Amino acid sequence: MQTPETSQMPAVEFTGNPAVAEDSRHGYFMRQALLMGEKALQSGETPVGCVLVHNDQIVGYGMNDTNRSMNGTRHAEFIAIAEMLQSYPRSALQHTDLYVTVEPCVMCASALKQYRIRCVYFGCANDRFGGTGGVLSLHSDSSIDPPFPVYGGLFEKEAIMLLRRFYIQENEKAPNPRPKKNRELNTKFEDGSEEASTPL
Amino acid sequence: MDIRETIRGLQPLYGKVTPLRTVQETRPPEDFADAYVTEVNVKTASKVIKALDSAFPKDPSLPLSHLRRFAKREILPPPLRAAIEEQSPPLAAPVQTIFVLISPPLPDLDKLQALLAPFAPNAAPATPGQTPEDASQPDSPSPKIYLHPTKIPLYPPFNSKQADAWTKTLWPVVFNPAAPRSTVAPPPQILNRAQESIEPRAGYYLSLARKVAEEAEQSGLGRGVGAVIVDPAIEEELSAASWESGAGETASWDEAVLAVAGDARYCRPEAGAPSQAQLHPGVAPNPASTTYIAEFEGGPELHALMRAAGFIARWRRENDSRGDATATADASNPEHLQDTEELSSLESYFLYRHRPGASDTTIGELLFSPSSPKKRKHEEPNPESGSTIDPSNPEQSQLQTPPLPAPPPSTTAVSGPPIPITAPATSRIRTRSQGGYLCTDLDVYVSHEPCLCCSMGMLLSRFRAVIFPRRGRLESGGLASEPVVAPTADEVEPEDDTKGQDERGYYGLHWRKELNWRALGFEYVEEDDEEIKDEPKRPVFHA
Repeated sequence: MQTPETSQMPAVEFTGNPAVAEDSRHGYFMRQALLMGEKALQSGETPVGCVLVHNDQIVGYGMNDTNRSMNGTRHAEFIAIAEMLQSYPRSALQHTDLYVTVEPCVMCASALKQYRIRCVYFGCANDRFGGTGGVLSLHSDSSIDPPFPVYGGLFEKEAIMLLRRFYIQENEKAPNPRPKKNRELNTKFEDGSEEASTPL
Repeated sequence: MDIRETIRGLQPLYGKVTPLRTVQETRPPEDFADAYVTEVNVKTASKVIKALDSAFPKDPSLPLSHLRRFAKREILPPPLRAAIEEQSPPLAAPVQTIFVLISPPLPDLDKLQALLAPFAPNAAPATPGQTPEDASQPDSPSPKIYLHPTKIPLYPPFNSKQADAWTKTLWPVVFNPAAPRSTVAPPPQILNRAQESIEPRAGYYLSLARKVAEEAEQSGLGRGVGAVIVDPAIEEELSAASWESGAGETASWDEAVLAVAGDARYCRPEAGAPSQAQLHPGVAPNPASTTYIAEFEGGPELHALMRAAGFIARWRRENDSRGDATATADASNPEHLQDTEELSSLESYFLYRHRPGASDTTIGELLFSPSSPKKRKHEEPNPESGSTIDPSNPEQSQLQTPPLPAPPPSTTAVSGPPIPITAPATSRIRTRSQGGYLCTDLDVYVSHEPCLCCSMGMLLSRFRAVIFPRRGRLESGGLASEPVVAPTADEVEPEDDTKGQDERGYYGLHWRKELNWRALGFEYVEEDDEEIKDEPKRPVFHA
């Protein structure tokens, strides 16, 4: 059998792929996900947002909800799925795509696979927890559920800026908050470009 | 049936707790990289290091501190020595030389040659007496640096055997058993202490998990999977109390249980349609459980472990939101459906017993509660969460002061306006204001190996440890890192000669070096596990 490490299928980059360009319908849905991430930031949550798209319609909105719910497993993906299932049966997820600002974590990647999501588009990669190429590649590993395709890099900088704006804040809810008074928001990227002040 | 009676009648599992190995242990990373070895004058060794380090910066993520910087000719690995001597035979005395390792990131070869040339064994200025020998060399008399390619291991050796093997074949390697290797496996002292604390009562908690599983299955609401959340700090108090009273260590084992949850994957109506449970009223187990059809599986948030972690959160929301207007429910948020989720009788018994005002709770029990924050100890924080108790933090040192006992209802009535009980000191679960945060420092016992989603949910909930019976392994599980092997095999690497075992991924998610959070993982091996190899095949599903 293949070990999880040897069967990695890296997420396809958007760069140079006109089919999923940022000015396409994919861009529109990702902007909606970014707005959810913005809402999360305003609510003091880790700014990750997502939308579920079924037949070109948004059928579920999600944002990270771990602080309010005091439950570390309440990630945006679960919130969006819960909303969708109020109006659609679970089987509809097989014809539904997810747009999420940050690569799904290992937990969410497994959940999406169990739910048989059709396709996942994400903004920035998650090299700490990512389950679709960041750390593990559950989307392509063989399991009792079929694999699903993943595309990353759509509005990547905007997703990263949301996270940076969050992480320069102090986490008052943590048992031992770290003082971060002197931090400045980094607006530069490795490719030398700089973030525009109004990303959306 | 009376729940207390049910609990009292539970027979513990018989067997032993054994640590789950990590994927780093079962598949030690053997990543190798190219490096160069070159011979330099021994008297210039420190200058060589200085020159190399200032010219070629190191990669901070690759400390390579397990590799010797220098090696004398005699301790070079024989294959490398032979290769070197074929190209540059040893110089005769009095030139003393030593071999230096140039490790990745590898610099440009020409730059390296130029940088090291002054330190070459035959470099004239350093050793004036060598000229006659030099003349006898067949090759050029000018200082010459030979760069001999070799391979080096990028990660420290996992044991001395591995270190010896590398030293004999690649380059001299140092094995440091005291080096922090928490990325490989839990530090042994932390693992052993946790195992000792878990061992006495694990059989009871897993028995309870199976009882909860049975309840879930018999209700038709879910598959037969159960989870039990235990506070090891309360366990410690139980142990201390048992030594004082002379009672058995496992007496009152259930006092340390904070919450239990059963699987409920068939209970959710979707799009207003009846749930799988509603489609088959009164039928148990639910007919959907005889096979694995994705549409009927609810979702992982309905799995036992996720629900159990959710119950702790739910309890905290209910108890911390008193008097906190900002925490009121936002009806548009589907999350709040969770708060109205129905609990089974075992679930609500464990979550809400000793709750102030709970009808079946007597004042005597309230005052006796073993989990009073005053006595709570945190000597064994999550190994990865660092120092969790800071005495200078006023919010935490509040834990040291005795809590106000809940006033009996009769006295509240006569002593003026009723005092809202904001800090339920009598509860086992710590509120946020008491320092309770997610499932930090708690243990979770599951009747089956949790699926990948729940295994990661366990980490994100910051559990200290996860324990499941070996018999509950599932090919969809996220924790095992290898097939079941004979307990005698320890250092020996399990080769791929395991016959007839299920094809599955072994993720060992509880302790992966790549992930930010880690938990201790244990399997419970029952005494009769050997005999029941031919269990009827159950459908594979996600627990």
